[in-house]
Amino acid sequence: MSAQLILRSTLPRALLSRRALPASAILIRHSTTDAYAPVPGGPIYKGTVNDPTTFPPPSRVHGSYHWAFERLLSAGLVPMTIAAFVTSGSQHPILDGLLGVSLIVHSHIGFDTLLVDYIHKRKFPILAPVMTWTLRTATVASIVGIYQFNTNDIGLTELITKVWTA
Amino acid sequence: MSFLLPTTSASLSGVLRRQSVRAFTSSARVAQAEPLQKPVLMKEFKVYRWNPDEPAKKPTLQSYKIDLNQTGPMILDALIKIKNEMDPTLTFRRSCREGICGSCAMNIDGQNTLACLCRIDRNPNKDSKIYPLPHMYIVKDLVPDLTLFYKQYKSIQPWLQNDNPPEKGTFLSLSPEDRKKLDGLYECILCACCSTSCPSYWWNQDEYLGPATLMQAYRWIADSRDTHGEERKERLQNEMSLYRCHTIFNCSRTCPKGLNPASAIANIKLELAAE
Repeated sequence: MSAQLILRSTLPRALLSRRALPASAILIRHSTTDAYAPVPGGPIYKGTVNDPTTFPPPSRVHGSYHWAFERLLSAGLVPMTIAAFVTSGSQHPILDGLLGVSLIVHSHIGFDTLLVDYIHKRKFPILAPVMTWTLRTATVASIVGIYQFNTNDIGLTELITKVWTA
Repeated sequence: MSFLLPTTSASLSGVLRRQSVRAFTSSARVAQAEPLQKPVLMKEFKVYRWNPDEPAKKPTLQSYKIDLNQTGPMILDALIKIKNEMDPTLTFRRSCREGICGSCAMNIDGQNTLACLCRIDRNPNKDSKIYPLPHMYIVKDLVPDLTLFYKQYKSIQPWLQNDNPPEKGTFLSLSPEDRKKLDGLYECILCACCSTSCPSYWWNQDEYLGPATLMQAYRWIADSRDTHGEERKERLQNEMSLYRCHTIFNCSRTCPKGLNPASAIANIKLELAAE
């Protein structure tokens, strides 16, 4: 029984490994040709494998302040939306304007997160700044637009009411 | 009774003699119980294969069919059976076979888990697909390169740091309440199932620490004996290390030990915001 087990487990393994490893295959592991050199974005480690990774310089503006502001703004949008829903925009222009600006800032943070996640500067050195400034331009343009719309026209809340009932 | 004895003993010896004379070939088959023959239950396993010795060859799924009734109940048993009896070139990590070492973490039927804790689905019509941990560099077959994962773990300095060490012969005290805060954190075996299931970690693993490392970061922040909590928190105050967590919860869903890394990350965020 035991002899059978030994035969069954080691013999085919020895035979197969001999068949699977031709001499040329062993050579490849030792020769680092340019065709298989590591590429940017590949597993290039800073320092040795025993060195810990490093942290970016600490900044609360990018860290906890940003997070807290984003969460408070998101939470604040709920009562603001309800308030705008019950009241009329033309009678409460400050609430109307606050809602408009909050929505735009909220969207800006959301889009900015997308850029940091997917189009970060360390991976896209040209595209990332272009996209960031496109987003900033769009945000500023939207704020100017909502200011013009709220002061010279019917305002955001009125518009949504009209579209809703239309 | 005594007059019966000689006859019975004679007949008994006769029977014994007759049995000893009988050849083995003529022994009564019906009297012996048939060994239980389990039905053959063939199931297909499709296993990710990639060989670094042939780097130009694309990774493939290789199919193995094994009899489940001759296999142990877990996926790891199936893999070991395949390696022992069918294909010794199949490569995977395994050690403890009972879910405490974290070596056999892999993606089984679309879920990151430990092969030794994952039961084989006994439906023979459905194949089981086994991949390495997703979005990692592969060393060979089911073996991912976890170097960066360990480097990140090292970066949070996962050891007790206390500026006022106790005098010789005394201990740092830990109240039962403070000890309770570490439950659900210290059990992590660093199998990397959670980190490699996190889309944020897939896209930004060079900068984002990932759920496993962050949970261990919180394990030392939450420890009442550690006096370097402020420095630990300060290190996470940046855009990438912690705040790439978007509460996707894949980590808590996939954890083979039933831990909750998402909750630990949420606790870090709250503590950072409350400072």
